[in-house]
Amino acid sequence: MTRAGTALRLVAPKVLQFAFVVWATYTVTFLLVRVLPGDPVLAALAVQSGDATTVDPEQLAALREQAGLDGSLLEQYLSQLGALLTGDLGTSLATGRTVVDMIAGVVPGSLAVAGLALVIGVLTSVVLAFLASIAPWRWLRDLLVQLPPLGVAVPAFVTGLILISVFSFSLGLLPASGSRSGDSVILPAITLAFPVGAIFFQVFITAIREAEASGYVFTAEAKGLGRAAVFGRHVLRNALLPSVTSIGLLIGYLAGGTAVVETVFSREGIGRLVVSAVLARDVSVIQGVIIVVAVVYALAALLVDLSYPLIDPRLRPGKAAPKPAAASTFSIVPEADALTSATTDPKNGAAK
Amino acid sequence: MTKLLRPTTLVSILVVLLCVVMAFAPQLIAPGDPLAGTPRDRLLPPSAEHLFGTDSLGRDVFTRVVHGAWLSLAAATLAVGIGGLVGGAIGLLCGAARGRVGTAIDFVVMRFVDVLIAVPGILLALIVVATLGFGPWSIALGVGLGAAGSFARIMRAQVLRVRGEEYVEAAAVLGVRPLGVLSRHILPNAARPVLAMAALELGTAVLSVSAISFLGFGVAPPAPEWGSLVSAGRDYIATSWWLTVLPGAVIVGVVLAVTRLARVIGESR
Amino acid sequence: MNDNILEVSDLQVRYRVGRRRIEAVRGIDLAVPRGGIVALVGESGSGKSSVSQALIRRLAGNGEIAAGRVVFDGQDLLKLPMKRMRAIRGGSIGFVPQDPNSSLNPTLRIGEQLVEGLRLHLKLGREEATERAVRILGDVGLSHPEARARQYPHELSGGMKQRVLIGMAWSCEPQLVIADEPTSALDVTVQRLVLDQMQQLAADRGTAVLMVTHDLGVAADRAEQVVVMRHGQVVDAGPTAAVLHAPTHEYTRDLVAAAPGLNSVRLTASAAPVATEASHPILEIRELRKTFTLRRPGAAPEPFTAVDGVSLAVPAGRTVALVGESGSGKTTTARMAARIETPDSGSVLLDGQDVTTLRGEALRQLRRDVQVVYQNPFGSLDPRMSVAQIIAEPLRAFGLGGRREQLTEAKRLLDAVQLAEGLADRRPAELSGGQRQRVAIARALALSPKLLVLDEPVSALDVSVQQQVLQLLVDLQAERGVGYLFITHDFGVVRQIADEVVVMRQGRVVEQGPAERLLSAPEHEYTRALLEAVPGTAAR
Repeated sequence: MTRAGTALRLVAPKVLQFAFVVWATYTVTFLLVRVLPGDPVLAALAVQSGDATTVDPEQLAALREQAGLDGSLLEQYLSQLGALLTGDLGTSLATGRTVVDMIAGVVPGSLAVAGLALVIGVLTSVVLAFLASIAPWRWLRDLLVQLPPLGVAVPAFVTGLILISVFSFSLGLLPASGSRSGDSVILPAITLAFPVGAIFFQVFITAIREAEASGYVFTAEAKGLGRAAVFGRHVLRNALLPSVTSIGLLIGYLAGGTAVVETVFSREGIGRLVVSAVLARDVSVIQGVIIVVAVVYALAALLVDLSYPLIDPRLRPGKAAPKPAAASTFSIVPEADALTSATTDPKNGAAK
Repeated sequence: MTKLLRPTTLVSILVVLLCVVMAFAPQLIAPGDPLAGTPRDRLLPPSAEHLFGTDSLGRDVFTRVVHGAWLSLAAATLAVGIGGLVGGAIGLLCGAARGRVGTAIDFVVMRFVDVLIAVPGILLALIVVATLGFGPWSIALGVGLGAAGSFARIMRAQVLRVRGEEYVEAAAVLGVRPLGVLSRHILPNAARPVLAMAALELGTAVLSVSAISFLGFGVAPPAPEWGSLVSAGRDYIATSWWLTVLPGAVIVGVVLAVTRLARVIGESR
Repeated sequence: MNDNILEVSDLQVRYRVGRRRIEAVRGIDLAVPRGGIVALVGESGSGKSSVSQALIRRLAGNGEIAAGRVVFDGQDLLKLPMKRMRAIRGGSIGFVPQDPNSSLNPTLRIGEQLVEGLRLHLKLGREEATERAVRILGDVGLSHPEARARQYPHELSGGMKQRVLIGMAWSCEPQLVIADEPTSALDVTVQRLVLDQMQQLAADRGTAVLMVTHDLGVAADRAEQVVVMRHGQVVDAGPTAAVLHAPTHEYTRDLVAAAPGLNSVRLTASAAPVATEASHPILEIRELRKTFTLRRPGAAPEPFTAVDGVSLAVPAGRTVALVGESGSGKTTTARMAARIETPDSGSVLLDGQDVTTLRGEALRQLRRDVQVVYQNPFGSLDPRMSVAQIIAEPLRAFGLGGRREQLTEAKRLLDAVQLAEGLADRRPAELSGGQRQRVAIARALALSPKLLVLDEPVSALDVSVQQQVLQLLVDLQAERGVGYLFITHDFGVVRQIADEVVVMRQGRVVEQGPAERLLSAPEHEYTRALLEAVPGTAAR
C-alpha cells in the first residue's frame, strides 16, 4: 500500500462525513421550517408592515421568488440545495440582502468573543484540574473538583448582567456594551467562558480521574516520579483524547451562547443577527446561520478527528517497524480468552 | 436508600417539591397578585415585606417569581417529554435494529441525530420559534427537538451496551424469544441512565427556556416567567440588582437541584 | 544491619467506602531476607495486594495505612517524608504490577518509560539513559531491543510488556522487588518464561523478591519462604517445603488440597452414576471452520481464521475438555458447538441430528437440549433479577408450568446446586462469585439438557471455591447423565474433571485422546510444553 493510498483511506471518509453533516443540517432545517405550520413569507411580511390585514398577492409572489420559496416543496428543496453548493445561502426576507453578506459582516465580532471564551474556559479548566491533582489536602482537592461544574447551572444572561454591574457600573473598569473598543470583548468572553469551561472541566476531570486510577499511573508512581511529572507525562496525555473530542461539542455551545451574550452586551455578531432575524420572523437568515455553524462544527470535528493519531499512537496506521511473530496479533483476535473479553485476572481483588 | 439521605440530596428533593408547589399552587407560597403593582412602592430593595424587592411598576418580585414557575417549568418539562419520547423511540429502534437487518438504517438515522446534536439547541429552538410564532409552547417544542438528539444517542448507546452484556446473550441461549429479551432484559437495564439523562436535560431545558424568554420570544408581558423577569430587570441593573440577581438565583437553584438528582439517579445501583 | 532487607510488623490497612471502614489488612508481620524470594499467598479478599501497595505507600485513593512499621534497609518507610519515599520507590524498591496490558502508558514509547526512572534515580544523561534502556530490554530477553525501545506498548504482546515491566523494576539496581501477581494475566507457557526471567534476574543481581500471588503452584515452584494470608491476617508462614508440602495449618491444608496444579486427581462423583451408553456421542462436530475479519485503523481488513477444521465428539454423560491458550480458537469452537455462532463450514450434530443451520424457532427449541455456562459469573446473570427469576427463566421461556410450579422447580434446582432456599429472593450482586456460578449452573440445568457447554466456568473463582464447583459438576453429571464440553486453559482443572481431552493451538486440534493417556504420556510437544508449564509441576 502506498503512502498516498493510506492517506486517502484515512482522509476520504472524513471528508465525506463533513459533506454529509452540511447536507443533513440543511435538510433538517428545511424540513423544520416547511413541516411546521406557518408561512415564513407571510409572517415576515406581517412583521414588516406592522399589521398585515391586506397583502398584495403580487408582492407576495415576488418575495417568494426572491427568497426561493416558490414552486413545489421538492423544487424549493433542490433549488436551495443547488444554491447551497455554490455558497449561496439565499436572501433575507426582511432586509433583502443576501444571507452570506449579512453573516460575513458580523462573523469577526462573534469569533473574537467565542475564541477568547474557549481559550479562557479551557485554560482555567486545565489549571484547576492540575491544582486539584496536586493539592496536598483532600478537602481542597474535593472542592476544586466539585465547584467548577456548577458553572453550567448559571444562565449566561445572569452572569453577564452581574459582570456588567460589578465591572462596568461599580468599578468602571470595562465597557458594558458595544463592540468598538478592543476591551469590549473581555466581559462577554468571560461570561461565555463560565458554562463552556464548566462543560470542558467535567469531561477533562473525568478523563483525569480515569487516568489517575489506571495501572500506568501506578507504575509511574512506583517508579518514584513526583506528582508534577506524573501529571504532565502520564495523566495529561492520556486525558487529552476525550477532552479534545469535547471541543467539537463546545463549538456548538459557543455558537448558541453568542445569541444571549451579544444581546446582553449589545454587541454586533452572529447571535444578535439571529435574534433580530427571529424578531423579524426572517427564517432564511436563521437557516443560513445554522448551516454556517454546522460547517464550523464539522470542520472542528474533522480537525479533532485528524488530531487523534497525533495524541494516541494506538490510532496511528501501522508502520513498518520490525514485528516478530509473537507480537500483538493475538490480543486483537475477536476472542480474547473466553466468551467475554476478561483479560485481567478477577482473582486478585484487594478490598475494594 | 442511604444515598437519598445525604444532605445535598435532601435539599435537592426539597427544592424540586417546592417547584411542584410553585407550579401548581402558587397561592400557597405567594398569596398576592403577580400582576398588581403599587406605583408608590416601585424599585424597593428586598425586605421582610417584599422578600425579593419590587420592580419598576411596584410589583412584588417574589410573587412574580413564584407565579412564573408554572410557565417556566411546564415548558421545560414539556420539552424534555417531547425530546425523551421522540429521541428515546429513535434510539431504541436504532439500537435494537443494529446488527440484524438495520445496520444501514441505524447508520443513516444516527448521522441525522448527530446533526441534531451538532446544531446548538438554542438555534434550533429559535428557528422553530420563528416559524411557529412566539410563546412558551413553541419554545418547548424547539428545545425538545434539540434535546431529542441527545436522548436518541444515549438510548441507543445504552441499548447497545446492554445488548453486549453477557446476560443478554445468555438469555437468548436459554431460549428466551427476542422480544422477551428486549422487554425483560434490555429495557429495564437500559432505563436508568436514560432517566438520569432526562433529569439532567430538565435542568438544561429550564436554562434554554429561560434564555429564549430572556431574548423576548416567550410569553407576552405582563404574565410572569423567569427568563423574562431577568430581562425586565436589565434596564435597572446599575441601581436595582435584586431584579436580575434574585430571579436568576432561583433559576440556578432549581437547575442545581435537578442536576444533583440526575447524578443520584445515575450512580445508585 | 540485619539479614532482612524488609521487616513488616503489625501493618494495618483500611479502606473507606462511604461512611464504612473496611479493614483489609489487620496487623500482619512478615520479613524478606536479603536476596531471598518470599511468596505472599492468599485468595481474593485476603488483603495481599493491599500489603504490596502499602509497602510502597501507594494505596488506592480511599485507602490508608492505619498502623504498623515497614522497616526497609534499617529505616521505617512509613515515617519518611514523601520526597524521600519517592527516592526509594523505583530506586531501592522495584515494583512489577499485575496486569501488563494496563500498566504501561499507551502514549509513550517503551524506551522513554524506562528512561524516566534511570534519569531520576541514577542521574543519567538522556543519551546514556537511552542506551541503558536498550540494554535492559535485551537483558529481559526481548529481541531487537533498539527497535522495541522505539515502539509503543500496544505493539507488544502481553508477555513482552511484562518483560518490559520487569526490566523497569530492576532498572535502577533495587535491593527489593515487589511483584504483585506478575503473571496472572498471561498464558501458562508465557507465565513460565516470565517467571524464569524474574528468578534469573533476582539470582544474578542478588535482589530480594516479595511475590504476591494467588497461585500456590507459582509459590511452590519459585519461593524459598511462603506467607499465607486470609481475611487480612497471616495464618501460616515458613519455609516453602514445610508450609506447602507438609501443611500443618488447616486453611493451608485446604488450599493445597484444592490447588489444581499441585496435586489434582480425577474427582469422583459422590453417588453412583446413572447408566449411560458411553459409546453414543451426544455432540459431534465435524471439520468446523470460522474466519473473522480483523479491522485496524488505516489498514485494509484482514481475514483471520479462528477455527480451522476442528472435529470432536462428546459422549453422553461424559466430559470432554477443550484446552488451549488465548487465541487458540477454543472459545469460538465452543460457541459454534452451542450454536451461538454459525460456522463458515463443517457441521454440528446433536444426538445424530444436523443442527448446523437451524434458525429462529427451531434454534430456540434446540436450547432444550443444549445449554451454556459462561466464564464470568458477574456478567452472565441479569443484575435486576432475583435468583429465583433467573433460574426459572428458561422454564418461563418455554412456558413450562405455572408461576408457582416454576418457583418450586427453581427452589428444587437451588437445592440441587447446594444453595440455600433462602437465596431465592437475592439479587446477583448480593452473592459471592461461587454462589453466582452455582446459580448459572442451576439455570442451565432447568430444562434438563443433554449437553452443557461450559466456557471456563471456574477460572474466575478462588481455588477453594473452584474445587467445590467442579465437584458439584461431577456430581450433577453422575445424577443426570449430561454431557459436558468443558473449555479451559488450566491443565490442573483438566486433570480433575476430564474424561477426554482435546488440545487446540492456533485454530487447530494438536492432539486429542483419553485424559489418562494424554496427561501421563502426551504425544505432541506442545501438549508436553503446556503440561510442564503448569505451576507447581516443579515442586511435585
